[in-house]
Amino acid sequence: MRVALQSPTAGGTDASAATALYLYGVTWADVARPQPGAGVHGESVEAVPYRELAGLTSAVESTKVPAKRRDLLRHAEVLGTALVHGTVLPLRFGVVFENGTTLVEDFLLPRYAELTQLLRKFEGRVELSVKAFFREEAILAEVVRANPRITRLREATRAASDASTYPLRVELGERVAAELQERTLRDRQALLDRLSRLAVDVQVDQQPIEHQVLGASFLVERERVALFDDAMNELAQEQAERMHFKYLGPLAPHSFVGLTAEAR
Amino acid sequence: MAIATHGTASNYLQRAPSPSGLADVVELILDKGLVIDAYVRIAVIGIELITIDARIVIASVDTYLRFAEAVNRLDLTQTEAAGLAELRDGGGDGKAKGMVEGAKDALSGEGDRKKERAKRG
Repeated sequence: MRVALQSPTAGGTDASAATALYLYGVTWADVARPQPGAGVHGESVEAVPYRELAGLTSAVESTKVPAKRRDLLRHAEVLGTALVHGTVLPLRFGVVFENGTTLVEDFLLPRYAELTQLLRKFEGRVELSVKAFFREEAILAEVVRANPRITRLREATRAASDASTYPLRVELGERVAAELQERTLRDRQALLDRLSRLAVDVQVDQQPIEHQVLGASFLVERERVALFDDAMNELAQEQAERMHFKYLGPLAPHSFVGLTAEAR
Repeated sequence: MAIATHGTASNYLQRAPSPSGLADVVELILDKGLVIDAYVRIAVIGIELITIDARIVIASVDTYLRFAEAVNRLDLTQTEAAGLAELRDGGGDGKAKGMVEGAKDALSGEGDRKKERAKRG
């Protein structure tokens, strides 16, 4: 471990400093805790306070931070640990300041009002991430049984996948794709209807990923997380034959933080 | 991981407390989270090994052929067996016919229909 962070007031105004400061997130100064050895490259995470706020930081050797698997995971873990102690605004991977002084002068001070407002907004709330995927065999069987034209095309093309059945196979696939799309939209809405009423806010991923029924982040009051768990359990049980789920949290509100455009 | 979960004993689905896979973490902290104004350095280099197993759906002939192949690989024997049993029952209705004969009718009937479908298709 190369350098212990200078105290934030000393700030390291010396431009020749060999290190830079990596920023994980912003939290309240009174709940900011150091995390020894938990940061990027195994450096210790320290708080750089400014009035009621604190940036969670660690020293990095240069202002270029390679996005290595291990360090990506560490960034997420540092935020996860901070979330145990209090509300935290998560930063995207790779934000680096020259030193503690520039962190305060370029960020915490000019954005103080906005940052405190955001922290208050997320007080007592966490992000839960939900993904639902169709089980391929089950959903395809469902599609075949539900659509007579698909059933017939399947029977007509099963025996030979050569040039003679090419147009039929293209039609079959096109119809299957259309059915899948329809079921995806319908089931996505059903899942959202069930889960959204337990959340304060929702962000839905619109990217059409194969067999993904839903990719969404829910902003949920901490006291309602257990209710959300129950709803997820019910859904997983009901849909067990045709869907599987990925359920992650509690997380810092990665999907819900945003700063308004540059205010100098 | 430091975060406690509220799991009940009868959990059907376990909530993971933190992202464990690269895909999850990439999505969470490379795509999302606060980004700061341009005057702050954002320095991410050499994003290595970012292979996400998600496949984006693209409307293309290749996709269609892949779906067709997947559908044709399906083993629907359960329903097909059920279908045959129904036909057998139907064939067995006429008491004058023997079991075997009824089944034979049903099977050949099914065969004819298949040919018809193939022609129409």
